[in-house]
Amino acid sequence: MRCKCCSREARNEYCELHKKAYASVVQKFEIWKHAADVSWEQYLNEIVKNPFTGAWAKEVAERLLKDKE
Amino acid sequence: MEKYTLIITEKPSAAQRIAQALDQKGKPTKVEEKNVPYFLAKRDKPLVVVSALGHLYTVVHVGKGRNYYPVFNFKWAPRYLAEKSAGQSRLWIEVVSKLADNAEEFIDACDYDIEGSLIGYCLLRYACENKQDVAKRMRFSTLTKKELEKAYSEPLPKLDFGLIEAGRTRHEVDWLYGINISRALTLAAKRWSGKYATLSSGRVQGPTLKFLVDREKSIRSFVPTPYWSIGATVDIEGTTYEAEYEKTTLKRRADAEAVVKTCKGKAGKIETIEKNRTQQKPPIPFDLGALQTEAYSLFRYTPRKTSSIAERLYLGALISYPRTSSQKLPSVIDYKAILKGLSKERAYKRLASELLKVDELKPREGAKEDPAHPAVYPTGNLPERSLSNPEKRIWDLVARRFMAVFGEPAVKQSIKATLNVNEHRFHLRGRRVLKEGWMEFYKPYVRTEEVLLPPLKEGEIIQLKKVLCEDKFTKPLPRYNPSSLLRKMEEDGIGTKATRADTIETLYNRKYIAEERMVVTDLGFDIIDVLHRYCPGVISVELTRELEEKMERIQTGSEEREKVLFEAVEGLKPMLEELKQSEAVIGEVLSNAIKRSRIHERLVGECPTCHTGKLMVLYSRKTRKRFIGCTNYFKHLCQTSFPLPQRGTVKPLHKPCKGCGWPTLIVKTKGRRPWTLCFNEDCPKKEERRKRLEMQMLQQRGKK
Repeated sequence: MRCKCCSREARNEYCELHKKAYASVVQKFEIWKHAADVSWEQYLNEIVKNPFTGAWAKEVAERLLKDKE
Repeated sequence: MEKYTLIITEKPSAAQRIAQALDQKGKPTKVEEKNVPYFLAKRDKPLVVVSALGHLYTVVHVGKGRNYYPVFNFKWAPRYLAEKSAGQSRLWIEVVSKLADNAEEFIDACDYDIEGSLIGYCLLRYACENKQDVAKRMRFSTLTKKELEKAYSEPLPKLDFGLIEAGRTRHEVDWLYGINISRALTLAAKRWSGKYATLSSGRVQGPTLKFLVDREKSIRSFVPTPYWSIGATVDIEGTTYEAEYEKTTLKRRADAEAVVKTCKGKAGKIETIEKNRTQQKPPIPFDLGALQTEAYSLFRYTPRKTSSIAERLYLGALISYPRTSSQKLPSVIDYKAILKGLSKERAYKRLASELLKVDELKPREGAKEDPAHPAVYPTGNLPERSLSNPEKRIWDLVARRFMAVFGEPAVKQSIKATLNVNEHRFHLRGRRVLKEGWMEFYKPYVRTEEVLLPPLKEGEIIQLKKVLCEDKFTKPLPRYNPSSLLRKMEEDGIGTKATRADTIETLYNRKYIAEERMVVTDLGFDIIDVLHRYCPGVISVELTRELEEKMERIQTGSEEREKVLFEAVEGLKPMLEELKQSEAVIGEVLSNAIKRSRIHERLVGECPTCHTGKLMVLYSRKTRKRFIGCTNYFKHLCQTSFPLPQRGTVKPLHKPCKGCGWPTLIVKTKGRRPWTLCFNEDCPKKEERRKRLEMQMLQQRGKK
């Protein structure tokens, strides 16, 4: 199986590298929700735009937004 | 020919300086044989001073062929047998051997550290036919006449075999790890793809790359956390001052907005004014790592550059031996004599004279010690030749730091006025230097910013001019740069002061990392991934540190060299077995990474015509010329192409052109400065240039 974000091998949806980024994206949502009162979709859009978001986290967020569409 | 004493140094320039210092008239005769210089000097007896050329001997594999592993048989042999580029070492060894025939006494005057001791030992043992046991050792930290004369008249009766054994073991262990792991990786990729690419890793390279990969992973997976801060300004007698809100961060937007709402347009009363005096101690003397860090932060010099500049200054007898980990300046170096020497330089005259007035000079020192050398210090000699700008800067830095360590503590004052606005507190902060102390000596390199506040009184009413809520986000950890990585290696005890800068350079050369702020490439990730899966020991900091400790114990005689080597081989065997068994999988992973890395190197940017393809540097099979073409060309979707200069090298810059925003390349041709190429023919910058040239032509014609 290939990773949803890159061509690396993956056991589930994501490769080892993107799996860590996915965990980070999910984990930070609660903090964002409490701090800025945003929905999951708003949160994903915000982190995609944010210049400090890491490349893999951005790819995961973009993929999650696409999946929602 | 009369019998003489043969003195062996590490580098030709050191040989010249030592010969000059020891010759009665200070004018030794320079002789060249087979392009190898040596010096004839006369003192109590005739002296011949000849140099090595760094390491002339190295560890080589005993056996034939390169396409297999594991290899555990090795011997020490001339470098020219192992490296094609080391042909010069053959002549050097021949000349030293010839000079040794007629010598009756031998003195090793190489740098007094592990590498220097090993260089001298190898020459004495192999080129001079086992003279290592009869040779004496000159020990010095500067190449000044005074110190060299003392080192010559009071030499150590024998070589420092502790240092030598530690050096030999380090080279041998590094060779065992390096050759086996590198061959395993290279051969795995080659057997899979049929193409050769040098891949390497080793005992120091592995853990260093692991640091970078771990940091890169945390940066790329980073999701920022939002927070808010309140920015405010106040107006006092027509001048605007910044005020900080009592809480530097607010975790909820609603809380931050509430503060702004309550304080906007309001005035506040000064509740308290706190004044604080603090003393800042002088800095400590430079060891090599600290010098490299400071030179990077001030001048952006890479650790390797700083190290090589310092080495030149040492060979010019301007500073002491730079490869030291000591932060101590013993009084035997004669502080006052050095300051007297420095006072002859106009820039240091006043500062040095001030210190010379002090009865007893006492430097502030750090905790680190080095049994071989003191911290880096200026010798007090002035340059005999004109120094290049980087050399001037490093010399100045060393000289000023030396003076600063004797300075008095600096005294600083900070003021904090607290303003109460509707029960919300804002702080006005001021700071200034009351007494410069050591800062006077280190002035151009002191980073201090003064903020002066007007006279304020408790109870005074002050109007808030502006109150703003600022959206902020936490940032990822910064990427390592050559200086911070060097510091990290030092903290974790990886590598030695002599090898760390070269290890970093190798990571760039292998294309495991790129850019000054180190970004790990796909290849770098895959190398660590493979090593982590199949031989985690190679990237383990603990294993490397353990080995370093053993090497230190060899130096002090509490550990046996053979035992350390045996353990290294036994540790390597299962790792290599694992690598061999998984060769096909490793080969596929690495080959793909190499392929991706090679494609990435040639990618220029997005195609400006089809916007779906990527522009790449391509080569025509017909003409063998290079050009830029769109990747969609092969799908018959886009025929965009641009010509490229055929001479020199071209590399994508990954920066847009300032004139048109198209991707750019850097072109490097021999004998010319590298230049940036924008291949857009309609680039406004090109148009501007064309017009400028036309105008110049017209003006010239007009003159004629």
